Amino acid sequence: MKRTLFKASVICMILGSWMISSSTFAQSDPTGKKRITSSFAITNATVFTEPGKAGVKSTILIQDGVIAGVGNNLSIPKEAKLIAGDSLFVYAGFIDGASNAGITKPKDLERPENFVSSDPPDEIAGITPSRSAVDQFAMDSKVEELRKGGFTVLQIVPEGGMIAGKAAIMVLGNETSSNLIMENTALTVSFKGSRGMYPGTAAGVMAKFRDVYKNAELTKINSDKYASVPGVKRPDIDDTFMGMKDVISKSTPVMFSASSELEIRRVLKLQKELGFNLILTDLENYEGVIPEMKAAGVKVLIKAEVPDDKAIKAQKKDATEDVKAQYIRVKESFDKAIAQAGKLEAAGIPFSFTTVGVKAGDIGKSLKTMIDGGLSETGALAALTTNPAAMMGMSRELGTIEKGKMANLVLTTDTLFKEDTQIKHVIADGYLFDYETKAKKKATEDGDATDAVKIAGNWDYTTESPAGSGGGVITIKKDSNEYSGTISYDDPGGSGKLTTPIKDVKLDGSSLSFAFDVNAQGMSIVVEISGTIDGNSMDGTMSIGQFGSFPFEATLAPTLNAKL
Amino acid sequence: MKKINYFLAALLGLSFSFASAQTPKGSVLIKNATVLTVTKGTLQNTDVLVQDGIIKKVGTNLSAPSGVQTVDATGKYLMPGIIDAHSHVGLDVVNEATSPITSEVQMKDVVNPTEVGIYRALAGGVTISHAMHGSANVIGGQNATLKHRWGTKNPNDIIMMDAPRTIKFALGENPTRVHGRGNGIQPSSRMGVEAVIRNGFNEAIQYKKAWADYNSASAQKGNTATAPKYSERFQTLVDILDGKIIIHCHSYRADEIYMLINVARDFNITKLVFQHTNEGFKVAPEIAKYTMGASVFADWWAYKFEVYYSTAFNAAILNANDAITSINSDSAELIRHLYHEAAKTQRYGGMTDDEALAMITINPARQLGISELVGSIEEGKQADLVIFDTHPLSVYTVPQMTFVDGVKYFDIKEDKNDQRLSVSPTEMVEDIYLRQQTERCMQDTEHLFDMAGNLFNQN
Repeated sequence: MKRTLFKASVICMILGSWMISSSTFAQSDPTGKKRITSSFAITNATVFTEPGKAGVKSTILIQDGVIAGVGNNLSIPKEAKLIAGDSLFVYAGFIDGASNAGITKPKDLERPENFVSSDPPDEIAGITPSRSAVDQFAMDSKVEELRKGGFTVLQIVPEGGMIAGKAAIMVLGNETSSNLIMENTALTVSFKGSRGMYPGTAAGVMAKFRDVYKNAELTKINSDKYASVPGVKRPDIDDTFMGMKDVISKSTPVMFSASSELEIRRVLKLQKELGFNLILTDLENYEGVIPEMKAAGVKVLIKAEVPDDKAIKAQKKDATEDVKAQYIRVKESFDKAIAQAGKLEAAGIPFSFTTVGVKAGDIGKSLKTMIDGGLSETGALAALTTNPAAMMGMSRELGTIEKGKMANLVLTTDTLFKEDTQIKHVIADGYLFDYETKAKKKATEDGDATDAVKIAGNWDYTTESPAGSGGGVITIKKDSNEYSGTISYDDPGGSGKLTTPIKDVKLDGSSLSFAFDVNAQGMSIVVEISGTIDGNSMDGTMSIGQFGSFPFEATLAPTLNAKL
Repeated sequence: MKKINYFLAALLGLSFSFASAQTPKGSVLIKNATVLTVTKGTLQNTDVLVQDGIIKKVGTNLSAPSGVQTVDATGKYLMPGIIDAHSHVGLDVVNEATSPITSEVQMKDVVNPTEVGIYRALAGGVTISHAMHGSANVIGGQNATLKHRWGTKNPNDIIMMDAPRTIKFALGENPTRVHGRGNGIQPSSRMGVEAVIRNGFNEAIQYKKAWADYNSASAQKGNTATAPKYSERFQTLVDILDGKIIIHCHSYRADEIYMLINVARDFNITKLVFQHTNEGFKVAPEIAKYTMGASVFADWWAYKFEVYYSTAFNAAILNANDAITSINSDSAELIRHLYHEAAKTQRYGGMTDDEALAMITINPARQLGISELVGSIEEGKQADLVIFDTHPLSVYTVPQMTFVDGVKYFDIKEDKNDQRLSVSPTEMVEDIYLRQQTERCMQDTEHLFDMAGNLFNQN
């Protein structure tokens, strides 16, 4: 009896698996894109299952988009594609707390003929709480850039006015799927006023937000009464109320964009008055309000970006005392800015990142700067994984490498946040994405920087100044260990170009600086150029005497004449 | 009670939010000054003792309690902190210019305590400014009365919490230009301006009734009443009608001033102050009889058509007719030397020292509803004080120290040069606009009349 049952179950299993595989084979696939297997095994990799835990050599088994096992004694099915993980480091896939990647701004609605700018329809005034980011989303190159950077799940936010609509959570899996994990996860709100109509400013937006919120509450009261008491006037149910309904009942939080301390205080004030659940997003400058955010118990998304250090790098040694005093303040401000994430962590506020308005390629570098500024690596990883998962209420599915969780993984060439670490594979929703990795730069033995950075050749440069953009060619020659050359520039006295020798050419690591003299209306001015070289491009500043510093960019032209 | 609060705060890790609810209060003894009390005459060689932000004693031979610092003001002049009844300093937004009535908009929402203009005002002895909504709307937003407690980044720390609510109204060319000419809606004329105000108040009366009806009906069992729409806009107008808010009305011409006096009388509104009021001298007795007076410029006019008929004797004439009269700045520049502006009333109108000083102290305090608290040097009042090196109405005078609630926020000798509270980490030199771009009555409205923008000055 027992035996028969056992047999039957085995037969069922065989039959079942046959039926599954036969059904996959049965579908035609003229594109040839269908993957061969949905099973993967990353063997013998260094796996960091969650932030704060040390890496352990183990194998990860993935089946149908789910982590089927993590350990050392897993039996790997035959159809599993093997990924040799011996030299790889595996982390849970990153989660982007708020992203506008893949989002296309909906077209502005046409104004009706009887349009009155002082009392526009909600939809035209940017009050569209019923809209969903899902309707504005498509996988595009920006999404792919984020995935390349290790992001596997995005909370997408809609484009629009002061109340743009609802966010949604998407996994960055295969493009044939909708990839939608959850809809209506937050109502996105900002201080953005409408142009030429009410409300036009942050002050108007705050007043209007109170109005929308309180009227939604009243409509709810009226609707409830309508539903239970006969003879009650029909409540006026409009799109705005439909979109606000879940917000006033507090099942959907408000994701409010506030970049500065003052804006954060304004949002906290509204939150205190109205009582909605709050996620603060787009935070850039928040150090001074950390205690207030902690006291309010709000969720926090900081911008995955740090201020650029161009102003710091442009500081000159021979400045006057007054200017030096100002330098110190800029430096203090910069140091404070990069230390903020660490302070947020120290205050015990679990935060995550938003990539709205952030270049995907710069995120890694920005995180490293935050870590240099005091954020722990564990904290940074938590902000990329477990914190956003918890904020979204999805800790069961996302954030760590555990059996049963969604197969979202990042496979790197070294431990995360190390200078040369690169992402080799990303697995999202059980789909594998491979990325090219570059070989590590060889460390030069004698420390001769010229081996690493080549500057000889013809550089085409452009610069922006209040007088407009200018440009020309810099020719740099190398004689033994000395550099010399010329620069052409727009003749300040008229039209055409002038060419003059450059002097004081200094190359220190990848920093290049030089100067040249310009004669303008009888006045001799020293122009100094300094910048950083990255491959064939240079990014820096051009400072013209006391007239100020301006952005400067140059690219090394691939000329045949340039003898390197 | 306080102790328990602090203990709880420390326990809950909320010390910051509790502490910030309490603005700093200082204690100081200012010795041997010529004290210009404004309301109680001038006292030679007199001491003023301040304790916990309040003027405790004005007298001679006072000694400092232990721990209280003494400032020797021998040969110097002490006067009450200057109050500017019309300013836009410290606001991130000035105009929500998009509707003829925006009484729901609150300047308290957009106060920026880090704006360096506040420190500059302190350096001119100004301790309180009336941060007003702009003049693009017939009924604009609610204003904020600010105490210049420089150094905080929390807007609540500089909002004078014990000051009553005030609101901006505006008559004449600005609202008709923005709404009538700019957007093709009412008002296009001074008649339209009056209609907007009367309609607004009448709708507010209906709004009040609708809510009263609903509230009484919904208390009945088995009722079928539904809540009316909520409107902070009308609720604010109701509050004006109920006497809870002081109107500060931008105005120039005598006819429109008299029009608003009549509207106010029709709606039983008595809390009304006129701002600018360049033709106020023509209706000075009416202003004196029916309103809380006028806040005027010393000698600023001819920047648009409705401001041509003006005189530097305006303040003196208003004052002579017993209208409460103050001199204001409406400018981040003029606010730094309002004492000069007040002194002009002596040249044009022969005001006495006390009369001239009252125009920048106790008179604006009365117009803002805070004269019980500030505006003169009297025992029991808040210790907002300024020390000048010579008489503040002298053209040579320079403010030396400015105190708010007994705390010194400006000291010409000790303060460091760079007073910025926030510094950009990415810009070595921050943008400086040579053309004045902020703090004007018509800030944030430029886009509404692109064509006309250059034709009109925008105060």
